Amino acid sequence: MTALLDARGIVKRFGGLTAVDGVDISVEAGEMVGLIGPNGSGKTTLFDCLSRVSSINSGSIRFDGVDITRHRPHQVARLGLARTFQLIRVYRDLTVSENMELSIQWGRVGTARLFGRTDPATHRRVGSLLEFLLLAHLRDERAGALSGGQRRLLEIGMALMSGPRLVLLDEATSGVNPTLVAEIADRLREVNSNGVGILLVEHNVRFVAELCHRVVVLDRGAKLAEGTPRQIMQDPAVIEAYFGAEGE
Amino acid sequence: MKPTDSHHPLPTARPRGAHLRRVLVRFSIGLLALLAVLPALPGVGDAALFTLTLMLTSVAVAVNWNLTGGFTGYVDFGHAAWFGIGAYTTAILMSLQANGPQIGWAAPPAIILGAVVSGASAAAIGRATMRLKGPYFSIALLGTFVAVREIVRVAGGLTGGGVGLTLPPYLNRPLFYYLELALVTALVAFTWWLRSTRFGAALVAIREDEVGAEMRGIDTTRLKVAVFTFAGFSTGLFGGLWAYQNTFVDPDIAFVEIRTVDAVMGTMLGGLGTVAGPVVGTVVLFWLRELLWAHLLDYHLIAQGVLLIVIVLFLPRGLVGMVDPRGTSITTMWRRWLGRRPRGDEPGKEP
Repeated sequence: MTALLDARGIVKRFGGLTAVDGVDISVEAGEMVGLIGPNGSGKTTLFDCLSRVSSINSGSIRFDGVDITRHRPHQVARLGLARTFQLIRVYRDLTVSENMELSIQWGRVGTARLFGRTDPATHRRVGSLLEFLLLAHLRDERAGALSGGQRRLLEIGMALMSGPRLVLLDEATSGVNPTLVAEIADRLREVNSNGVGILLVEHNVRFVAELCHRVVVLDRGAKLAEGTPRQIMQDPAVIEAYFGAEGE
Repeated sequence: MKPTDSHHPLPTARPRGAHLRRVLVRFSIGLLALLAVLPALPGVGDAALFTLTLMLTSVAVAVNWNLTGGFTGYVDFGHAAWFGIGAYTTAILMSLQANGPQIGWAAPPAIILGAVVSGASAAAIGRATMRLKGPYFSIALLGTFVAVREIVRVAGGLTGGGVGLTLPPYLNRPLFYYLELALVTALVAFTWWLRSTRFGAALVAIREDEVGAEMRGIDTTRLKVAVFTFAGFSTGLFGGLWAYQNTFVDPDIAFVEIRTVDAVMGTMLGGLGTVAGPVVGTVVLFWLRELLWAHLLDYHLIAQGVLLIVIVLFLPRGLVGMVDPRGTSITTMWRRWLGRRPRGDEPGKEP
């Protein structure tokens, strides 16, 4: 069985610094994988490589059987790979629903429809996704006026708008209050149970342990361990590098 | 609460925008009617019409600049180059000579080809430079502008060099006035329509966050270059018209930095990224200059500097931006231009 996302030997250097050093990572369709590691271990850099925001020095990335190693970000997005960002990227001067409307499946928008307006189907999809993410009452608010947690939810909604098969979530719970964290976990579980693969970077270890089928641990750019959450929690090398270092 | 399936353009107007839009539309129709009957009014001579035609030209250049500068956030400091290329192409075609008799083109095809050449140049330069960010793009375009002017100056065989070219005169001020009025109206209507389409929304997405836009599947390069090409084409068209009316071009009047500065200032004064902003801003700027600064003589540059400071300090969203929330502000643009995130955009920050 081929994985939905299959990245091998990813190397990313910034000058003399090797931020990601030969990492293999894969996500099966419908799987939820956690990516953890101490600060500066290369998690976000790896995300940037996988979503093609950054170029890589060596390695190969396949998504759904297509070699995307040289693709541009909008091309991988159109293949069905969506992501969120550690620093939230919503269009703060636009309303919540406008933000959602801008995150349609652009690959299906032909040149003619590029000059059209939002169709009723998109409106319905925006409505139901906002409902699902508990943001329906805020649809006409400026995105910049939302709380941090609501903006996280909005960004997840924007990632889901295009109907992706894999979502990369970068720190979906940072700066979010605990009640909302539980909501986010519920929503992700539901999205995942509908067959959408999820790869998430998290600092919140409990969140990862509860949600993920599999966990990958990075340390100084290299893969330190991989396994079920239970195996990872008991791995001495992980405890040394991650929990020891951060004193959690 | 609005019904959830309401069918509105993208991005939507805020609820209070609907009334405002009606007022603006009525005002615009009234203004157009006034401008249309203007040449028939007593006391409006050719000189006044020529001044108004120049103002319409400035408005068009600012509207085109706003397409890349205001909507997409790519600040083109060399926009006057497209004007000059359109003007020169028109002049060269119309003043062609072979062994004495003039075999120059008629004005309409020459002006249209001038616009096409200008658009093609913008497409080529845009493809090469629009991967640059912020100041790097701006400086690259400023360099392009200076380079094109020097090429025109050196290529004397074709362009007449520093001496310039004289076009066959055709002085019909009312005709030019009506032509430009119609073209500017069409251009503003086009911008208004573009803003309401997915294409327009995607341009704003590029301005607000280009990496995010790309990650959401928008082919940013294609859209940026497309709108830049259109802006080059349209500014070139007005350049050609200007050359024909002026009946003479040389490098120093066809390629003037002030034309770019006016477009930037007019758009900022009116409201970056709004549809009406560049129109209102340029008209205000134009009349300030005609009425006030003409009397200030050598101090007009200082007056312009003071105006810029006033805009930045007190009117960062521009005159139109005060009532139309869909544009952006100078301060936000400035931070983005420098590659910083806009204020209040820090992660997890509670408002």
